[in-house]
Amino acid sequence: MDMNMFQNLLTGFVAAGTLQNVGFAMIGCLVGTLIGVLPGIGPIPTLAMLLPITFGLDPLTSLIMMAGIYYGAQYGGSTTSILVNMPGESSSVVTCIDGYQMARRGRAGAALAVAALGSFFAGCVGTVFIAGFGPPLASFAQKFNSPDYFSLMVLGLVTAVILAQGSVLKAITVILIGLLFGLVGTDVNSGATRYTFGISTLWDGIDFLPLVIGMFGLVEIIRNLEGDTIEREPIPTKMKDLWPTRAEFKEAIPAALRGTALGSLLGILPGGGAVLASFAAYTVEKKVVRNPTFAFGKGAIQGVAGPEAANNSAAQTSFIPLLTLGLPSNPIMAIMMGAMMIQGIQPGSAVMTSNPELFWGLVASMWIGNLMLVIINLPLIGMWVKLLQVPYSLLYPAIIMFCCIGVYSSNSEPSQLLLMVIFAAFGYILMRFGCEPAPMVLGFILGPLMEENLRRSMVLSRGDPMIFLQRPISATLLALTACVVALIVLPSFRATREEAFKE
Amino acid sequence: MLRVKSPQDLGAGLLFIFIGLVGIYFGKDLTYGSARSMGPGYFPTWLSWIIMGMGGICLFKCFTLDGPPIERIPLRPILCVFAGVLAFGYLIEHIRLEPALVLLVAIATQGRSDTNQKKMLLLAVCMAFASVLIFVVLLGQAMPTWSGDYLSAAFTKLWSLFSSAKGA
Repeated sequence: MDMNMFQNLLTGFVAAGTLQNVGFAMIGCLVGTLIGVLPGIGPIPTLAMLLPITFGLDPLTSLIMMAGIYYGAQYGGSTTSILVNMPGESSSVVTCIDGYQMARRGRAGAALAVAALGSFFAGCVGTVFIAGFGPPLASFAQKFNSPDYFSLMVLGLVTAVILAQGSVLKAITVILIGLLFGLVGTDVNSGATRYTFGISTLWDGIDFLPLVIGMFGLVEIIRNLEGDTIEREPIPTKMKDLWPTRAEFKEAIPAALRGTALGSLLGILPGGGAVLASFAAYTVEKKVVRNPTFAFGKGAIQGVAGPEAANNSAAQTSFIPLLTLGLPSNPIMAIMMGAMMIQGIQPGSAVMTSNPELFWGLVASMWIGNLMLVIINLPLIGMWVKLLQVPYSLLYPAIIMFCCIGVYSSNSEPSQLLLMVIFAAFGYILMRFGCEPAPMVLGFILGPLMEENLRRSMVLSRGDPMIFLQRPISATLLALTACVVALIVLPSFRATREEAFKE
Repeated sequence: MLRVKSPQDLGAGLLFIFIGLVGIYFGKDLTYGSARSMGPGYFPTWLSWIIMGMGGICLFKCFTLDGPPIERIPLRPILCVFAGVLAFGYLIEHIRLEPALVLLVAIATQGRSDTNQKKMLLLAVCMAFASVLIFVVLLGQAMPTWSGDYLSAAFTKLWSLFSSAKGA
């Protein structure tokens, strides 16, 4: 087993170590840091907009780049949180609380270093986690049958609701709408066209690109256009202040360890991910640490080290359900899944056996990428801080060009742009009605899969829905789902969840 | 007398019910089948009913629970962004990529009142050529352009100069 893992990792490093792959890992990390630093734009719209670029690359290279963007954003996000008191990324929201206070005390450098080093450590552990947990989980997943897969998706979608902001009821409905949208087009089984309204563009289903770019890219632009220009004046930092003191290290290291462990676990859970992990880590730090040198909210270094380690390790381990079960655990993973499917790869337990270079190459690239990110983020911090002064008015023309070119170039059809506008309008309306649009992508990606597995289960059981409770794996998954539902409905949990999102 | 306590829930409820109705109405023509052999209409019809039910609960909630108001929807940026994108889509095959991109930015920029129009246009022109370089020359995507062939030729020339200098 151990020997095997070594062998596998070697395969991975050989695959990820090519000049092209290292180059694109670098590009991914740079783009990720950039969007992490800039408050106006997050990883979901960025990944959506860059999807068309990946078509020309081979599957491993494109996944390496996209993964780099996701975890690169976790590094970059902390910079803005600490220096400007504005989250560069939603997973760095809690880092603002103590990070900015540290910066005001003149310890910005230490906060940045602790965030970057903690993230690096967490990233390494997360990578080992994937290497260790991936194969057993994948071989376990080979025991899965249609009813088990159906229940797994139910669990994944319900858990994703916890992550969505605002009303649970609305989040569930938005996912259901996503499922429905995923069914548009020609039904594979009967050949009947569904909900195409006679429009030929829809015969193959709603295209993934106009949907995600419209709902996230364009909506993001509109939101930024309607806002007032915000002054963002970073606190000046000198390079020589970067190294934390011994006392600071002593407080930060245990916090980073706790954050890493928590983040790795929360990343694997369906519905988990970087955002959830950072909130949870901050709550844990507040509970666990008895006598911090500086109180929480007044610049406690634990409040930076814990959440920053947690969000990065979760960003890595959230790949586990996607790569081993074919289940995207959050909207970002849904976009990754879309990218894989466009490349002709069906994510799931088969990837590891049929395409080991892809799995292990991605794992190895994450380690390489994390190393790059420490270098990108610490010595070059001054450059990123300068970028903060770039006004949004110079940024959004580039973003809107990217959106349009990306959607048009995927199949040179002008009607796709109309589709993009329609989805932008839809996403915007959802947002204004207090519904988070992101979970819809999860439903959209899983719609056809869920229907297929439901259909097969029902054929197996001759129409008896009890099959979902008779099979042990499926029953366990549904029991877990019931627990999650109970948790959401429970008033005390609800209160903490709302509080967590308020902060 | 019913009073709307949370306008957001009212909007969401109506939207959900609308989507559910559309799903049920247009799913009517699809074969429903039965549980043991599901037709193409089975799953979508179920989904639509559930979505409509959820919409109903939302509606009920909007009269009983207090909630935040719907924020003012500023039409100007929305319309400008959409108009720019649609103009781009409609015109790209007629006027090709570079002018279409400049036009896109020119229209979308109207969404903000405080932008410097001249500077923005200059920026748009530069970025249009940069896009041709990235997407058409480097990534090899097929799009109608004016400058693509020239830029490709220049790029190949530069590349061969560079590699021969390296070889020497």
